[in-house]
Amino acid sequence: MSPLVHRFAEFLHDLQQLERTVARGDAILDAFTRHTPFDGGAVYLRDRDASLRLAAKTQQFLAPEILDREPPSELIAGTDRVLVPLRSGREHLGVLALTGGEYSEDDLEVVRAAAAFIATVIANQRLSQEAREGDFQLKYRLWELESLYDIGLSITGTLNIDELADEVLFRMISLINARRAALFLRDGDGFKPYRSFGDTPVNDSDLQRLRETGQAVSLNGGTVVAVPVNGNNQIIGVLVAADRETREGVAAFEANELRLLSLFANQVGIALENARLHREALEKQAMERELELAATIQRDILPKSIPHIEDVQIAALSRPAKQVGGDYHAFFERENGVTMLVADVSGKSMPAALLVSALHAAVQLLVREGRELGEVATELNRHIHRWSAENKFITFIIASIDREAETLEYVNAGHNPGYVLVGDRLDTLKSHGLPIGMLAQSKYMTQVRPFANGSTVVLYSDGITEAENEAEEEFGSDRLENLLQPPCTAAELRDRIAAAVDGFVGSAPQHDDQTLVIARSL
Amino acid sequence: MTEELKVAVERKPQGAVLYTKGYINNVGGEEIANRAYELMDDGVRTLLLNLRETKIVNSIGISILIEIIEKMIDKGGKIAFCCLTPVIHKTFQIMGLANYASIFENEEAAVKELGL
Repeated sequence: MSPLVHRFAEFLHDLQQLERTVARGDAILDAFTRHTPFDGGAVYLRDRDASLRLAAKTQQFLAPEILDREPPSELIAGTDRVLVPLRSGREHLGVLALTGGEYSEDDLEVVRAAAAFIATVIANQRLSQEAREGDFQLKYRLWELESLYDIGLSITGTLNIDELADEVLFRMISLINARRAALFLRDGDGFKPYRSFGDTPVNDSDLQRLRETGQAVSLNGGTVVAVPVNGNNQIIGVLVAADRETREGVAAFEANELRLLSLFANQVGIALENARLHREALEKQAMERELELAATIQRDILPKSIPHIEDVQIAALSRPAKQVGGDYHAFFERENGVTMLVADVSGKSMPAALLVSALHAAVQLLVREGRELGEVATELNRHIHRWSAENKFITFIIASIDREAETLEYVNAGHNPGYVLVGDRLDTLKSHGLPIGMLAQSKYMTQVRPFANGSTVVLYSDGITEAENEAEEEFGSDRLENLLQPPCTAAELRDRIAAAVDGFVGSAPQHDDQTLVIARSL
Repeated sequence: MTEELKVAVERKPQGAVLYTKGYINNVGGEEIANRAYELMDDGVRTLLLNLRETKIVNSIGISILIEIIEKMIDKGGKIAFCCLTPVIHKTFQIMGLANYASIFENEEAAVKELGL
């Protein structure tokens, strides 16, 4: 092998090493200065934007004008330097400038051949890099599509709004390469931040603008975007993304990201609506459970049977409304007669049931202690006022028949007037005090009136007189009073009133508890 | 939840485990790359990335992870991942990372299989 061929073979071997990694300017220059007589120079490479840049140079080499000129198409051997084009096919990849040392024509041939080789290496590496990037972009587009599809499945399958918000945020961030993001949800006329990842620089007026136009808003030169989330025929939320990441740092969002974000927002809208409907269904279920529980409480404390008291007929009717109201009634046997009461607690559902429960406990205690009715009502008022909420009160009528004295004692604390039927005369037991629990200092006096044997007392709740028909007319006191005609037993009177109310109401729904307590002293 | 990625390293007799916490984006990816290259310069040739506390990765982060894998392969070593969320697992499969790096469900299985 001739020395020249041997030298070229060694040179090529070194250059081949550059194939394994990215061929850098300094490595190229190093190979050329080691295997040729030249001891300095520079390497200029074309960037993708076609501009020439200095990739490497030895210390003394200065030739700024090379950057300003078109690279030569052939090797130019000057007195102080040799310029060698780096070309692969028609592509100008750069220029190699070599200086110093004495060179021969053979040296120039070696340089020319080596430059052609390294140019091919660079071209191949660039092609390979472009292919890899193309492959990455293709896969990335596939990932975007898959992500949108997955997001649809995932977020529409997530009914917990907190989990959903996290999922939305994570997916959105990775989908559009955002550095920061937030999900805002509708709150009255505005929006409130629900979840965020980093700070997102949007203010109320930006969001207001979005709400008014219904269009995406671009802020801070496009580095922040806010996209509406529609659902239930209105904007129910806003997705905000900030700082699109690039390899170099952050940049404005481009049309592709905005398109993706809008598509994503459509799916988020569906998912949020699903979650809202689910939450409402759960709340309804919880409310129904509460109603059921309240109904059970109330059912359990109402008398299960009517006491048998010598020479006193007692009849009762208790019809709870579907939405539990707060009617209560009770009977207490007493010497020579019976004590009975009807009460109506303000409110409905569980709070009413709990107050009825408190009333029941207190009444049972106070009446069984043998206290007279005024004292029972006064104590009850103090107790209920202290322990129940401010706006809770109880209308209450309690009456006690004494067959021996032939009297009726009663207290009516803000309740509908009770009735006493003596022969064919109808008297009323009117309210003479505020409802129980309204004022702490209320005192109630026992009222006493004659109650000859053969008389009947009728206590009821407003669910009877205020029962409405389909035309929303009330049953009223007049209709009730017209039914209170002798002679009849307590049970007959109860059934007569019940049938009349039913006939009047027809198929209209029952809105309030209906309670009726009747006692007739024989 | 913070934006910054935190990286912790645990050296093993036959390599290292790198734990990430947070968003693998360009900043987070560079942080991982710096730590991975330090380990490679130190002679580590088997590196496990435990992504248990990472829930988000974007395409810039993925491209940096691919570079780390390529660099390790160039050095004759291998990189594996474990404890990926289902979303990240699928992302890695689509973006081709799974072709060059093994993915394990948990660290124990990865350590055993890689001989760390």
